[in-house]
Amino acid sequence: MRDVSFGQYYPANSFVHKCDPRLKIVFLIVYIVAVFLAKNFYALGACAALFLLIAAVSGVPFKSLLRSVKAVLFLLLFTAVLNLFFYQGGETLWQWKFIRIAKEAVYATVFLAVRLFLLVLGSSLLTLTTTPVSLTDGIESLLSPLKLIRVPVHEIALIMSIALRFIPILTDETSRIMNAQKARGADFETGSLAKRIKAIIPILIPLLTGAFRRADELGDAMDARCYSGSKVRTKYKKLTFGWRDFIAFLLCASLLTGIILLRIYTAPLI
Amino acid sequence: MEAIKFEKVHFSYEADDETENVFGGEVAFALNGIDLTVEEGEFVAILGHNGSGKSTLARLTNGLLTPSAGKITALGLDASDEKNLFAIRKQVGIVFQNPDNQMVASIVEDDIAFGPENVGIPREEIGERITFALNAVGMSDFRHATPSRLSGGQKQRIAIAGVLALKPRVMILDESTAMLDPRGRKEVMDVVLRLNREEKITVILITHFPEEAMLADRAIVMSRGEIVMQGKPEEVLRREQELQKYALALPRSVRVCRALTAGGLPVADALTAEAVAENIRQALGDTAADFEKTEKTDHLPTDKEETQEKISDKSEIGRVECENLTYVYNPASPFATYALNGVDMEICSGEFFGIIGHTGSGKSTFVQHLNALLRVPSSEKKYKPKKVKKGQTPTPAVTLKVNGFDLTDKKTDFKELRSKVGMVFQYPEYQLFAETVFDDVAFGLKNFKEDVTDTEVESAVSEALTMVGLSPSEMKKRSPFDLSGGQKRRVAIAGVIVTKPQILVLDEPAAGLDPLGKEEIMQLLHKIHREWCKTVIVVSHDMDEIAENCTRAAIFSEGKILGVGEPKTLFAETEKIENVGLDLPLTAKISAYLARKGVSIDSDLTLADFIQKTLNFSKTRGAGMRSTAKGGKNDA
Repeated sequence: MRDVSFGQYYPANSFVHKCDPRLKIVFLIVYIVAVFLAKNFYALGACAALFLLIAAVSGVPFKSLLRSVKAVLFLLLFTAVLNLFFYQGGETLWQWKFIRIAKEAVYATVFLAVRLFLLVLGSSLLTLTTTPVSLTDGIESLLSPLKLIRVPVHEIALIMSIALRFIPILTDETSRIMNAQKARGADFETGSLAKRIKAIIPILIPLLTGAFRRADELGDAMDARCYSGSKVRTKYKKLTFGWRDFIAFLLCASLLTGIILLRIYTAPLI
Repeated sequence: MEAIKFEKVHFSYEADDETENVFGGEVAFALNGIDLTVEEGEFVAILGHNGSGKSTLARLTNGLLTPSAGKITALGLDASDEKNLFAIRKQVGIVFQNPDNQMVASIVEDDIAFGPENVGIPREEIGERITFALNAVGMSDFRHATPSRLSGGQKQRIAIAGVLALKPRVMILDESTAMLDPRGRKEVMDVVLRLNREEKITVILITHFPEEAMLADRAIVMSRGEIVMQGKPEEVLRREQELQKYALALPRSVRVCRALTAGGLPVADALTAEAVAENIRQALGDTAADFEKTEKTDHLPTDKEETQEKISDKSEIGRVECENLTYVYNPASPFATYALNGVDMEICSGEFFGIIGHTGSGKSTFVQHLNALLRVPSSEKKYKPKKVKKGQTPTPAVTLKVNGFDLTDKKTDFKELRSKVGMVFQYPEYQLFAETVFDDVAFGLKNFKEDVTDTEVESAVSEALTMVGLSPSEMKKRSPFDLSGGQKRRVAIAGVIVTKPQILVLDEPAAGLDPLGKEEIMQLLHKIHREWCKTVIVVSHDMDEIAENCTRAAIFSEGKILGVGEPKTLFAETEKIENVGLDLPLTAKISAYLARKGVSIDSDLTLADFIQKTLNFSKTRGAGMRSTAKGGKNDA
């Protein structure tokens, strides 16, 4: 049951899930740029509206989205607080000795927080709606122009794919080894830091030897199935750009234009 | 036409340092002048003990290794010519032992596409080949599945499909069934047979199991890099003395026939349970139906009966008591699954207890509770009892007592518990980690007793190593990674029993071993049971193993217990067991068949007792014949 929670993928059959992964990756990049370019709440509001639209279409429950924010919540608060106190100039709202909060600082802090929020939410929406496998396919396809400058794109993609394949196997193995050593009285939870680091050795060594053993066998199995990484290699799965992707592409393009227009014609935040 | 031809092939890994001399953690064993011809369409089984060179043979065939002398021809192509390498690999596929280590992709169809992609098959055709390959192994419904969710047998069938997609003419299976449970083994063997019969693919099956070799057209036995026996499987597998010389076992069914013949009831050799039963029936005579009662005559006490006496011990030590044990994976999520659903069980002190069930039946979850690797909720530090809402039935109270420890109580000393309840996991040799055997065995002891003295450690380790049949003086300073597979497993077991636990739990202790290795391990467990541990609990897929060794056993299915009892009563419920897809022990199958024919042999299902009872039956039947000859007999 372990692999259920592997990655973030939320299985569903929505419009967003079915989109071409390449488009989703490009879209995410555009979205991130847009969020960064936004200089006032209108522009940010536009981004937020777009995000909410896509999130609603994707059918991913809001809870799952928020869970991904939880992980970075501390970082978010930390930056916000720093920003709040160290903002220079502006109209003073409240002061105690050398600590001062400016009116502009409050705006800027809220703005920053919303911006970071939107970034994290946007990226996690990608991983929530795209399987790691198709994400790899997408990355491979997007990187393929790099073949021209001799970047081994295919090998990189194969390595990623094998890594994905073995993550659940190795996590299972880790927990099995941990259990076995626990049964022999090993203690991973208490004691000093040095002691705990030492306690990892009985897990790490079997895990590594096991990984090498597997790698050896996998290498043989790949050889036996005619792998050579040669140029004659064909590809079975081809990503196709469908009508869905066309709609999404239009959306993507108009977002960028909109943000640029907003940047030109509206006043900055402060 | 010849599919594969070996002419005076030698292989030694010293000769060529570039050659990988280690594969899958095992050393590539030398070959010593192999001459072998496999005809196209043939099904050849290769048997041999570990280290006989049979895996080396497989890897030489398609150029994963190169011979140091001699010539190998595969489908008319010279394997030593590099140019032929891919042409040969396309047509000679290998399926390896561990299904997990052969797959490159996380989706079944992508993995099967890997081979055809490598040789540049056009896209559309790859799709067709995937369909063909999945159909051939009966896995069409799993095209978009994730391998890690499949069972071992299913994964291995996907691995076969991955090879099939290259449309090979020869398929080599290198111990491909060794890591599977009986059900998975059967799935794979069915597929292999069909490929040979219907697709006319030449099959070379490397296996430990004589039962599998029986399905082949020809059996070859290898020992120390040479072919030592060859012929029709049914002939080869009957040559008892020769097989013993090469460290191979007779099929269990043949052993039954032989033992009966030796005891004075001449039963012709047969291989399937039905055939054996039929031969026994014939040997007993056609009128056997009239005589159902067997006379209680003297018989040798078996291991089981000795332990039966120990069970009367009612002490807490070595005892497991469990009521209403429930365990949910991923509680309060859409993936919540009941791994255990209200399990009640009592394992008495002194038992050699068996636990049977498929993967996912809850048996592993259950045994992990025994030494608190999985905790009952109420024993967790943060646990607060839930208030029962009105209208809800309160969840029944859980009882879990192991070796006198109350596992539902958070105050229990769980570390102390673990030193008294030893746990040996599946493939324990993969958990060895220390530089020397001594350190590895001592690991547990030092963890449990922080104030232990060096001399105590020294003597405890020596004792434990001696117990598992290894010489302490020879072993102590060696690296555990240099040992043979069997030795590693023994060292791993020593590392658990070094604290002298009162209960020893073992998950599939004999998995992956050849039949003789399996027997040795079971004998070792009996020795440990007699001399050190009060109670031994064994999780196993192998019904013969359970019937042969256990005082009682429990069958798990879908988180519940389907039945508990002595093997004799447990396996009498044939239908119930077959309904959940489990196999029966050979002796039970024969008894059931005989019972249908009116011969009731009332044994405890161990081989020895079954033979004894059958012989007794035949003696009384002989006596009966004479008595009925006087009174008229009524044939049915």
